[in-house]
This record gives sequence, C-alpha cells and structure tokens, in this order.
Amino acid sequence: MNKENRRIIFILVGFCILFVGLVAYLSFFQVFKAESVKNNSYNKRLWINEENVLRGSIMDRNGNVLAYSEKNEGTNTRYYKYGNLYSHVIGYSYREYGKSGLELEYNNVLLDINENAAINELKNLVLPTSVGNDLRLTIDHGTQEKARNLLNGRKGSIVLMNPKNGEVYAMVSLPDFNTSNLNDNWKEITESPDSPFLNRATQGLYTPGSIFKIITTLSAIESLDIDLEYVCEGSTNIDGYILKDYNEIAHGKLDLHGAFIKSCNTYFGEKSLEIGKERLGSVADRFMINQKINFDLPVKESSFPYKGNIGDTELAASAIGQGKVVATPLNMAMMASAIANNGEMVKPILVKEIINKDGKITRAITTDVISTVTGPTVANEIKDMMVDAVASGTGTNASIRNVTVAGKTGTAENPSGNSHSWFVGFAPANDPRLAVAVILEEAGTSGGQGAAPIARDLFIHGLNNIDF
Amino acid sequence: MFNILSLLFKYIFIIIIYMFIFSIIRLIYLDIKGMDFVGSGDYAYLKLINRKDSLPFKINEHYSIDEELSLGRRGDNDIVIKDPYVSKNHFQIIEDEESYFLEDLSSANGTYLNGELIGDAVGLKNGDIIKVGNIEFLFVNKG
Amino acid sequence: MISTKLSGRTPRILLFLYEILALSLLFVYQKDNLDRYILATGIGLVLLVYISNYMLIKISKGDNYIFLIATMLMSIGIIMIYRIDPEAGIRQLMWLSIGILFFYLSYFAVKYIKGLDKLIYLYIVGAYFLFLITFILGTRTYGAINWIRIGGFSLQPAEITKLILIFIVACYYSQYEKFKEIKYSPYILMGIVYSFIGLLFMQRDLGMAVIFYGIFLVLQFIYEENRKLVLINIGLIVVGGIIAYYAFAHVRVRVHTWIDPWRYIDDKGYQITQSLFAIAEGGFFGKGLGLGYPHFIPLAYNDFIFAAICEELGIFTGIGIIMLFLLLVYRGFKIGIGQTNNFYKILALGISALFGIQSFIILGGVLKVIPLTGITLPFVAYGGTSILSSFIALGILQVASEDAEWRMDHE
Repeated sequence: MNKENRRIIFILVGFCILFVGLVAYLSFFQVFKAESVKNNSYNKRLWINEENVLRGSIMDRNGNVLAYSEKNEGTNTRYYKYGNLYSHVIGYSYREYGKSGLELEYNNVLLDINENAAINELKNLVLPTSVGNDLRLTIDHGTQEKARNLLNGRKGSIVLMNPKNGEVYAMVSLPDFNTSNLNDNWKEITESPDSPFLNRATQGLYTPGSIFKIITTLSAIESLDIDLEYVCEGSTNIDGYILKDYNEIAHGKLDLHGAFIKSCNTYFGEKSLEIGKERLGSVADRFMINQKINFDLPVKESSFPYKGNIGDTELAASAIGQGKVVATPLNMAMMASAIANNGEMVKPILVKEIINKDGKITRAITTDVISTVTGPTVANEIKDMMVDAVASGTGTNASIRNVTVAGKTGTAENPSGNSHSWFVGFAPANDPRLAVAVILEEAGTSGGQGAAPIARDLFIHGLNNIDF
Repeated sequence: MFNILSLLFKYIFIIIIYMFIFSIIRLIYLDIKGMDFVGSGDYAYLKLINRKDSLPFKINEHYSIDEELSLGRRGDNDIVIKDPYVSKNHFQIIEDEESYFLEDLSSANGTYLNGELIGDAVGLKNGDIIKVGNIEFLFVNKG
Repeated sequence: MISTKLSGRTPRILLFLYEILALSLLFVYQKDNLDRYILATGIGLVLLVYISNYMLIKISKGDNYIFLIATMLMSIGIIMIYRIDPEAGIRQLMWLSIGILFFYLSYFAVKYIKGLDKLIYLYIVGAYFLFLITFILGTRTYGAINWIRIGGFSLQPAEITKLILIFIVACYYSQYEKFKEIKYSPYILMGIVYSFIGLLFMQRDLGMAVIFYGIFLVLQFIYEENRKLVLINIGLIVVGGIIAYYAFAHVRVRVHTWIDPWRYIDDKGYQITQSLFAIAEGGFFGKGLGLGYPHFIPLAYNDFIFAAICEELGIFTGIGIIMLFLLLVYRGFKIGIGQTNNFYKILALGISALFGIQSFIILGGVLKVIPLTGITLPFVAYGGTSILSSFIALGILQVASEDAEWRMDHE
C-alpha cells in the first residue's frame, strides 16, 4: 500500500474515533447526566404540566384549605393562605425559585404525574388530566397556629404528634418566611444569617442535653448487671474531666428513678461507664438515632457516634446528651412517642390522604411501627419517671390540672452560644394522645423554664381542640 | 389518537433506521468481500491465478459468486475486464441447487475449463481452472 | 434475520417505508390544516427520493450507497422540519428537489466536462469574487455576515466557496509535480487558504473557518511531501487560536459558554443549555414525534435540529444519524482509495473530509463536546444554500466513485 493510502486510512480512523466518541458521549450523557440536566429549573418543560394541570390543593385534617391554585387569564397561580405558618411544611412552588417542602416532595401527586414517564404518557393520552390531586394533611390548623404563637418569634421548633398513629398535628420551625410573597423578600431570606429556609424540625441537628437521658435510662434498666444506686456529690471526676450537675447541687443518695426526676448528670455520667458504649449505642439506634427516618419531608439523621474510638469522658458526656450527640426535634418527639406507645415507635406522617379530582381518596396512609424500643413494662417504668419529673421534678412547669403530663426537660450546653431549652413529653399519661418536642434554640434558659410551659399550653390547646 | 400512534411509531422509526444502517453495512461488507477478499467458506469464489500487476487492465484478486456471476468487457457484467480478448458478454456461472455451472455466452475466443474449450454448460468442481483470454481463474467451492 | 433475503433493494425499500410512515403520522398530526397541496408535496417527496435512487442505479456504475445515505438523512431531517414548521418543511422540500437536481447536474458536469483540473486560477479568482460580493451585499445574522439576499432568496456564498476550495487543492496536488517547479508554491497555496480563513473570520463565520482549515489540513496531510509544512499548518492554527481567544470577545464567549454554559444560562449559554435540555428529555426512545417541545430550542430546524430530533425521536435516532454520517465518510474515503485518477481522488477525499468535519463540528457543538459554532448539519438541517452545496458535493463524489477509465467504455 502506498503512503498516500496509508495516510488516508489514518485520517479515516481518526474520523471513526471522533464519531464513535460522539456516540459514546451521547450515551454517557443520557445515562449519567440527563436526569440532573432535566431537573434544572430553567428547563421550561418542567413547567409545562404546571400550565396544563391545575395543581392540587393542600388542606389540614379538618379540610381547611391551606394552599390552592387558581387559573387567572390562562396562567395558573399558586396561593398560600397563611403566609409564614406553613413555610416549612408545605413550602413553596415558584417558577423562579423552584419548589420546597411538600410542594416538592408531592409534586407529582399534586400535578397527577405518574413517575414512570411511559405510563404517564399513556395515561395522558387516555384521560388528559387538567386537575391534580389534593392532599389532606394530618396538621390541625388551629394547633399549628397556636404552636407558632407560643414560640412567639423565638428561634426554635415544635413537633406535636400522635404517639399511637404517628399523625403530626403541628410542626413549626422559626424563623420562617412568607411563602405568599417570595418575590418581594427572596433576597432578604436567602441572605439572612438565621437560615429561615431550614426546617429545624426535620433538618436541625441539636445537642439534646438531658432529654437524651430517656435513652440512657432505658439502657440502664436493660443492663441488669449494674448497681443502680449512687450518691451524688454535685460533681464527679471522669477520667480527668469534671462533670457537674446543674448549679452543682448535690442530690445525695439516688436510685434511677430519683436521678431521672432530678436529671442528675453525675449519676448518668458515672452509670454510662458501666452500661458501656455498645449497649447505650444499640438502645439509641432503636430510637432511630443514626438511622434514616422515612417521612413525608426529608429528615436529617440524628447522630450518636458510638462506634468509633470514644473514651470515658466522651461516653459520659453522650449519656447526658452532650458531646457529639445531636438529634432532630422530630426524632425527639418520636422518642417521647415510643415511650408513650408502650415501647413501639410509629412512623410519623404528615399527609393523611390523597384525594383525586373526583373527591375519591386514592391513598390513605396507615400506621406503621418502625421500631420497637422496649416492651410495655419497661416503657411504663420510664413513663412513671417522666410523670414524676413533671409532677415533682424539673418539669413542673409543664403540669396541667386534671391531666397527667409525662415529660423530660433538657438544658443543652451549646458550644457556639447560649444553651438550648428542651422539653419532650406526652399527655395524658394514662392514655397518651399527644407527644411533643419543644426546643428553643440558644434560649439561655433551662428546659423547665423555657420549653416546658410551651408544651403545657400546647397540650391544653391540643387536647381541647384537636379532632382525634 | 395521534399520541398513541406517535408513541408506537417512534419505536418503528428507530427500528427502520437501524435496519437501514444494518442493510447498508451488510451490503458494503459483501462489496468489500468481493474486492478485498478473505476466504471464509461462506461463498464460492473465483481466484485470479495470474499475477495482478502483469495485466494491462484493472482486475481484482477475488470475485465471490452469489447465485450468478457474469464476465465480459461490457460494463453491466459482474466482472468487467477491459481485455481485447474478452467478448462483451463472455461467460457466466450459475448456481443451481448448490452446484455451479459454467456456460460460455458464444464468446469469440471461447472459455477453457482445465485447458479444454467448453461448448455447452458444464458443472464446476473445487479446484477447476477457468481460462479466458490471458487470464486464469481458480474456482473454489464454498464450505 | 433479514440478511438471508437481503438484496440491493432492501435499504431503498426501508427508506421508502420510513418516509411513508412518517408522512402519514405527520398528516394525522396536521389533520386540521391539511389540504391537497400539502398531500401532493408529501407524495412528491416520497416519489422524488425513490425515483432518484432508482434512477441513479441505472445511470451510475459507481457507489450505490452514498446517495441512499444522504436521502435517508434528508428524510429524517425534513420530517422534523415539517413537524416544527410545516411551511419551512414545504420550502425545504423545494430546496431538496432543487438539490437533487443539482446532484444530477453536478454529476453530469463533472463527469463530462474535461479539463476541470486545469482551471486552478479560475477557481481562485472565483473564490475571492464570492467573498467580495458577500462583503458588499452581505447582511448580518446572529453576529455573522455570511448571507446575501437576492430577490426573495438568501444565499450563503461560503457554502459554494468551500467546494471551490476543494477544487483548488485538488488541482494543486493532482499536478503536484508541475506546481512544485514554481518556487514557494506550497506556501502560496497555504497563503491563499489562510486568506480565505481570515476573510471568514472577518465575517465572524467561525464554523466555516474551521471547515476550511480542516479540509485543507486533511488534504495537505495526505499529499504534502514537505512534512514540515503540515507541522507549520498545525502550529499556526494553535497560535492563531490562542490569539483569537484573547483578541476577539466573540471567540471568548464561545469558549466560556462551552466550558460552563449553566453560568450564562440567561443569555450567552441559553442556546446550548436549551439543546441539552431537549436531548436529556428525549431519553433513548424520544417523546414521540409531535409530543416534545422543540419550539423551546432556538433555531430548532437549523443549527439545533439534532437536539430537536433527539427530543422527539430519541437518542437512538441520534446515534443512527451519527452512524449514517460515519458510513458516508467511510464510503467517501473508500471511494478515494479506490480511485485511480488523482484529481477525482482528491475531490473525493476533500468532500468526505468536508462531510465529516462539518457534521462533527455541529454535532459536537450541540452536545457540548466542543465549542458551539453555528453551521448546518449536512442534508438534515434546513437551509437552501447548504442543501445545494451538499448535494453538489455528493454529485462530485458520485462521479469519483466510478471507474476513472469510464471514457474507455465508449467504444
């Protein structure tokens, strides 16, 4: 073969490589990149359905409409009736800013789009939809409003739920933002140092402080080999670190019950060394710490990193909810629920029913036990402690005349600011219908002072007003 | 109605395009096989015995026989040989039930099979030598 | 498998089938404003393609496949154009008919006019003349002055100049021995080609400049005996590219929007991102003809027709188009290798390189593999002059595919 033909073949091979490269890139693009490209909010096709389909309404458990769409002069407009109140639960759906909250998670349901594109195409052919599905939430509008008012503008979060079936009656996170006029204050919201977009109830990871002692207490009860008696002197030295009680009060001779009611740090710190990190950790795992919680909104994992190499100091700090332990308010409400529900932790739910345009319920959510933390006997034992903690311990501010309240306060030291004020509990103790987690972020007050009264007022309102 | 049709047709379109590409590739492949031959046993073929560059006209080393093969000076033959000793339509080879037959098409100078001038159609067997003018082909049967 | 029954007719029948099905689907799609005229044009297209393919086998002893491949590409393209804009589709059909006519015209002209390889000076003058009238009569579209309007028609002279370039280079290298005696002749040739590229650059027709350069480089690489020149050519373009990047804002814009179009999605990166959305939405099988949103893509039936096709007919069709181009280029080079006459051989190689480079530049551009430059996808995209020039080139390639000793056939 002469050199010209050899060069021709060389060029031809070059072209082959270029074109095969194009085919390879096109396939690569389709397999690995297309999904993220498609979901770019500049892709006008995403909003085509918005034009054609009237987005479904969202209402509370009693049928009060909270968000709805209307067709005005050919374009569909979304209205949020209550401004700030549902900024984290319902979120928003704006062409300019995208979607968040349930508007994002239930987008396909609200627009009645099938997730499988092919089925969707076929379905659109047979019966083109023009109205999406409605959502009926478990939220009780009045209670939600009450909860937000109780926080009174303070940074923090409240989760109020039914311990038996997991229905969330109120979920508030402050600071929040007004979803009905995002255009006017978008810049302000995005630039705020207080991160108003953060749903603290599901995404906020806080040091739990003493409310974590519920988990430590359960571990202690299960650890049959340890001595539950202890003499508290107000402080103790653990491996060179001085662990102090609140105001360094010496509680004297204590058993587990007494230690829980008085929220004795030295007791739980010392006992945790006998319990050991493995037993404490596995109990925490049962409470869905370090676990993914499936919920209608994305939930961050609470964390107690016991599997690594942690020393006695770290373990003692974890036992009283300090150190590296962090938890979401939702998870803490679920913790209280599990004790209230005889040791069974149910899946929290926010969307009760999906209702199609003909008013038929197409999906009703059922109760789901996601973890059994302990049996009824032990659960009742801890319940008694929580009742006494409210009746005569740190949580007296949460007590209600005529109704027995069970609870646990927490004052979590926060390395980056003032301490968080926590309260978790449930009521009525003999037949729990409400479980709550309240946190006042960097409130600087104790859990008994700051969070407990909020829980009390919310219980009173909820027990009187919610249609269970 | 249109939508359902369209959904169905998009698959048909893709199938047709690929069948089209496939059939072209296949035809080109057969073509090249005719030109730059690699004996594979799938086809019977004629192999040029003369050294190619000693001939004053264009000729290939191999010609595969697909049911029928004709040789002549005129452009519509399967093998076109611009040799004055070759007639416009010289001979043809026809496949009939897995056997090949060589038939002279009343050429001026005749066709020789293994050195003998042929009259009527004769059967071909592996290794036969066909001579036309100055050119000699070896017949190789398939398989 | 179909292979057992495969004959030379199979691809022609498949093409026929494809067109019939696609047209019937489009007629259902457009059923509300369908009239006899449109129906007739549709049937006209099918007949045009079928008959011209059939005729070619009778007329030409050369390659049977390049015209088939081109008409398949053309069919996919016109169906998409018609779906996006029926009026543009009808106009495109008219251009295609003229294109096929020009295919036969150029086929017979190049086959029977003798001495085409002796007209190098005429070609050079002609090329400069075409540049001149572009500057005098040109109108600016999308930042480039490359269109002239005569009567109701818009013409892009560079589409013709690129063919003249191939002729110039073919003349030169087919009579290499003769031209070598002129001192510095390879440098003069290079100077002429670079002056073309410079003029295209002044017209801001970057895509065309790259095509000119690519064709020249390929032919020079194959034929230039002074290998140093090839290296100089490559070196010059690297230096030139770097200078252009820093000197011209419009070059920088193209590079920036290539590297990260999402940052400029509101303005400069708009086109390419819309193209990527369309391709991503299509998936492997596409949304179905008439079920996508090609109207969201700017220039959907010109530069971005590939993205529109991918959206509605899927990337499998997209891959099919790429493979068809590869086959066309392969056939072209194969023809070049087989051709004994040097002039026709170089023409064939130049035209194959043209098809290859042009399709790669625009396909790579809409896929964001390389910076985007606005040129048309040969045979597929809408555009009068581009269709004409592609079919003329194909006609020349058809001649080159025949035995150069065809003259001997006339006894």
